[in-house]
Amino acid sequence: MGVTRRDFLAGSVGAAALAALAGCTSTHSGTGSKAGTSSTGSTSGAGAKSNIGKVTGTLTFAFWGGSTGETAGFNYAKQQFEAANPGATVNLKVVPYDGFFSGIDRGITSGTAPDIFRVDYTTIGKYSAKGALLDMTPYFSNDEVSAFLPALWDAVKYNGTPYGVPHQTDTTCIVYNKAAFASAGITSVPDKLSNAWTWDEFSQVADKLRSSLPSSKFPFAYDWTQAGAFRWLSWLYQAGGTLLTPDLTKAALPSDPATKAMDFTKSFFDKKWVPANNTIKTSVYSDNFFLNQTVPMSFVGDFLVPELADPKTGYKGGAWGATFMPQDKSAASDLGGNAIVALKNTKNPDLAAAFLKFLASEDMMKYFCEKAVELPTLKSLASESLNYAYRPDVVAVCAQQATTISDTIVKESTTSAFATVNTILQDQLELAFHGQSSSDTIRNIASKVNAAL
Amino acid sequence: MTASSPEVVSGRRPPPAEKARPTPPKNASILRRAQASTAAVFLLPNMVLVGLFLLFPLALAFVISFQKLDSLGGSQYLGINNYADLLRDSVFWQTLWNTGVFTLFTVPVGMALGLGIAVLLNSVLPGRTLYRSIIFLPLVISGVATGVLGAWMFDQYNGFFNKLLSAVGISGPQWQSSGHWAMASLILVTLWQRVGFDMLIYLAGLQGVDPQLTEAATVDGATGWQRFRQITFPLLGPSTFFLLIMNVIYSFQVFDTVWAMTRGGPDYSTTTVVTYAYRTAFDEHGPQELGYGAAVGVVIYLITLVITIVQWRYSRNRDQSG
Repeated sequence: MGVTRRDFLAGSVGAAALAALAGCTSTHSGTGSKAGTSSTGSTSGAGAKSNIGKVTGTLTFAFWGGSTGETAGFNYAKQQFEAANPGATVNLKVVPYDGFFSGIDRGITSGTAPDIFRVDYTTIGKYSAKGALLDMTPYFSNDEVSAFLPALWDAVKYNGTPYGVPHQTDTTCIVYNKAAFASAGITSVPDKLSNAWTWDEFSQVADKLRSSLPSSKFPFAYDWTQAGAFRWLSWLYQAGGTLLTPDLTKAALPSDPATKAMDFTKSFFDKKWVPANNTIKTSVYSDNFFLNQTVPMSFVGDFLVPELADPKTGYKGGAWGATFMPQDKSAASDLGGNAIVALKNTKNPDLAAAFLKFLASEDMMKYFCEKAVELPTLKSLASESLNYAYRPDVVAVCAQQATTISDTIVKESTTSAFATVNTILQDQLELAFHGQSSSDTIRNIASKVNAAL
Repeated sequence: MTASSPEVVSGRRPPPAEKARPTPPKNASILRRAQASTAAVFLLPNMVLVGLFLLFPLALAFVISFQKLDSLGGSQYLGINNYADLLRDSVFWQTLWNTGVFTLFTVPVGMALGLGIAVLLNSVLPGRTLYRSIIFLPLVISGVATGVLGAWMFDQYNGFFNKLLSAVGISGPQWQSSGHWAMASLILVTLWQRVGFDMLIYLAGLQGVDPQLTEAATVDGATGWQRFRQITFPLLGPSTFFLLIMNVIYSFQVFDTVWAMTRGGPDYSTTTVVTYAYRTAFDEHGPQELGYGAAVGVVIYLITLVITIVQWRYSRNRDQSG
């Protein structure tokens, strides 16, 4: 059928419309949008409302049901709060972790989001940068602020203003099977943070395990799978490097420490120290590898200790212990853990703030951390040894490891663009572990991080 | 009309009697309008639902594909930059290729297997209802559950398949860390799930094949294969056409099995277009670029539309059987 005049006119109008749409703007979906005007935050009015007294009203608090311990801890806090504040009701909303933040986002755009929700430190920046969260400055006096570990109070700040309370922290440590170590001839395992394995010593341990294991098993697995890709950065920090410049505006790559860290971690695959599918984009996590005994040693977060120690479904390979992450120029680990935040346009800000303060008070935090086996954020609790529900010896190792989370690590992990940074790391590390060269990977990471900032 | 007309004598029904008098034009148009408005009232609920849940989101997706939209609602007009980026995006072309490979291997193989099983189960066989149910059952399982099951069974260190192979002395392939084998495992799991559907449609089609034709062919000396090739298979034309469209569209839009089994990894070797769109737009650990994801969605829509039009045009004349 030939082209009729009507078809020709329709086609040219369509083409003209497309041409008009083109080149209207130079921004693309992948480029970052500039964050709000920078300010250093005000301390005026700090603590103006730090003694609210009893509050009334109804609140919704959403969190993911990570473990029975966590849910028990939050339930206890809810009951105590309602007892201390007659007239106040807290409705707990337990949602699966998968899709939790999508639900929060949809709630924010549709006005049905919960008043209070739990969020990890690397994601909080996404919300505070958009002005979605309640400013906590009036509710905490300077004394109360200084009760928190300073690095973690900084973790909830955006442009100098705190937007939530740091509730708990997690980090990674090494768990290992004692029998496997013995049969591989590994006799000394660090029991003090200062004695942690150097990279060389760690390599020797891995080599010994490699020669004592059959080809279907591997020395260890690392917890950089999926959203954990940012935990690769621990190797970068250990090598003495940083991801960003001190003013957090540009990538500090390429650098020698970056090349060293990239080469070292890529060698895990070449030397068959990790299972071939322990890359970023798989569905098998480092704790899965440990539980199904493909590896006798694994890097896991302390929040997984209850899962490993559970008498019914936990690790079945025999006695297991924990030790510290390796160190090179310095010791470093990743910033894990969660804060609790409130929405800016919650109906009753005083009630929300009062509940947040209550959750972060010493008694509630102690109870929660002991039940959930997670690390506290208050100075007073960090120095005492808590009565953890499972394997307090293992958690003590992780608690010491958490002291290696430097200010730099916190600052870099909590920039508002960190979610994008994590995605860049996911893509590039996957390519690197499948053969892309270290220099190309580092260059790509640098250019994409710069575009995102 | 008259008693002696030949139609009445031979027993066929006489044509209906003409109306005694023609309806005046005014009443006819009122009647037509009344019928039209009744029809509209019946159609209205359905049209409202279709408009609200099908057409409106489709139009909105077009609009969003011209924006930079983030998860918290901040939008920015971008012109056709999303589409320009898409054409330059090597990952997107790789996902198209992956989807094409996936479709190529699941559709013909699945249909051939379904046809073979249907022919076997069409004959009188003890317990054939049981066999049919067993083969159809995987289709009832959700795609996500199938994907998770596949991830366990194909685990390259601890999965069922590799353990079985090692029991016979073969070292199993790397189902997760090798791109090709990961795609193969996806194809196998999808075939397992979809073959029941093909078998069911072909069974229904086989019921429509007139046994007199095959008997006549046997009398004429045709072998079993010739009977199948020259008679049965052409008569299954409508079933084949239907299955081709359904399977191609399904394979092109596969998401849940892929996501649950491999998450699109390793690298991007099992990422299909829909998985890519989801990861770009909705994955909370991904870039959360809803505008770009919408652009991918629009491209998927156009490609599926083209496939459907081409198939429809090609098979329009082959839709009649016998």
